[in-house]
Amino acid sequence: MSVRRPSAATPGRQSAPASRRWVEQLRPGHPLHDEAVATLHDVLRRAALHELNRRGALAGPERVDVAQQCAGDATMKILARLDDFQGLSRFTTWAYKFVVFEVSNKLARHAWRHHPPSAEDLTWEHLPDTLAPRPGEQAERRQQLAVLARAIEADLTPRQREVFVAIALNDVAIDVLALRLDSNRNAIYKNLFDARRRLRASLAAAGLPLSEEEAHA
Amino acid sequence: MTDLHELDELLRAEEGDAGCDAGVPILDQYVELELRGEDPSERFPGTAIHLRVCPGCRADHDGVLEAARRFGDPGPE
Repeated sequence: MSVRRPSAATPGRQSAPASRRWVEQLRPGHPLHDEAVATLHDVLRRAALHELNRRGALAGPERVDVAQQCAGDATMKILARLDDFQGLSRFTTWAYKFVVFEVSNKLARHAWRHHPPSAEDLTWEHLPDTLAPRPGEQAERRQQLAVLARAIEADLTPRQREVFVAIALNDVAIDVLALRLDSNRNAIYKNLFDARRRLRASLAAAGLPLSEEEAHA
Repeated sequence: MTDLHELDELLRAEEGDAGCDAGVPILDQYVELELRGEDPSERFPGTAIHLRVCPGCRADHDGVLEAARRFGDPGPE
């Protein structure tokens, strides 16, 4: 396979020659279709392997196998959505996006299977020790944490509380929590965002705003 | 972990956050603005805010940027 190095001056230019050739050759019936698909798969396999390495995920044959799966699944999705490519970026950057999403999804499923969040990770009991007031700490800070604890208990919806406790307090990964709750990243993020806004508002309402803006709201 | 900054971070929720889904279709364009040395927050302000707060989307963004930098733009031949 001949790999052409990119020009740093051209990313994003519409209808770049390499992008146009990718799209043409990946179309069914093109004489170079099979070769282009194999090349794309190889480019994506190397990108997936690098991404798994960058995330420090998996090792040895398992990493190689998952990279292969990610490349295969990303290639299939790209071929199915070839008409969606509008030339607003280079074709390869568009394609890297597919394989990185595959890596994310597969790592979340791997984590979900091997280290699923426990019921305790999602259940509100108290603020973690790292947030507990320390002796000698300012009274206002102690009050802030007391209001926060009450607000987590009283001001959040059950779903907001579950999501906030899991992600913000117990470091559960958002994609793993999405699998646990049979949801998706965007919906979980919205729950988390709303929970944080609600808790900030509770602190401000108690006279303990976290920002100047909230103090004057 | 009890100073104001850390509590502010724990409860970080910025106005204008576009959320996760909004970044999916434009992530490749966002990354290429960065590769050209331009500021993507001018064109995609809501996603720029989101990427500061959402670790999942930030990891995806960093992965695409890293792949584009490292593997470049090979042709199909």
